[in-house]
Amino acid sequence: MKNSYNNTGTGSGADNVRGGESSGKGGAVSQKKESILELQKLINSSVRVKCLGGREMRGILRGFDELVNLVIDDCEEFLRDKNDLTQITDKSRKLGLVVVRGTQVTLVSPEEGTEEIANPFLGEADA
Amino acid sequence: MSNRILPLELIDKAIGSKIWILMRGQTEIVGTLRGFDDYVNLVLDDAVEYSPDPRNNNEIVKTELQSEILLNGNHVAVLVPGGTGPPEDSMAASSS
Repeated sequence: MKNSYNNTGTGSGADNVRGGESSGKGGAVSQKKESILELQKLINSSVRVKCLGGREMRGILRGFDELVNLVIDDCEEFLRDKNDLTQITDKSRKLGLVVVRGTQVTLVSPEEGTEEIANPFLGEADA
Repeated sequence: MSNRILPLELIDKAIGSKIWILMRGQTEIVGTLRGFDDYVNLVLDDAVEYSPDPRNNNEIVKTELQSEILLNGNHVAVLVPGGTGPPEDSMAASSS
């Protein structure tokens, strides 16, 4: 009699407590390396990365892992306005070869197929 | 065919050399990387912390943390191996 909350009944050891559904996979969190984001396609191309906290960067994707940690080459970071950190200025600084932590990534998008347009918000007066 | 670089391997190669860390907010740290773990908590030696002065937006406070430090990986956003730190007056907030 195993002291397991889930009792999937397959009689495996105590380390299967996590497997709630008896899917046969053993309830592992990531068995295969499946990701909804196919970063392999973007390798060696230019990408835009946004982070939690507002940092924005651009560079060439050289590597990644399943946790979306990224290796970006020739990375440059876009600088934000000191007084309003939500505003991106047109200034940037070069960082070089960097690692971006997957826990902080909010967006990875290819530069290919995007174009910069004139700022549509410039006509508005400050509130 | 694609020789892709694993991020944690790149950090591993940086052990022993200088590394520049950008945190989630406006803080940056430069130090010699002694080691790290799965959560990218970092052990840094001779670390220097750069953060904006809360009283004065244009100043950067530079603090030399003189012993070995354990930096919690929770807010580590970007790691620059071999990085020397923010160039003069170019931390994320630029002077407009």
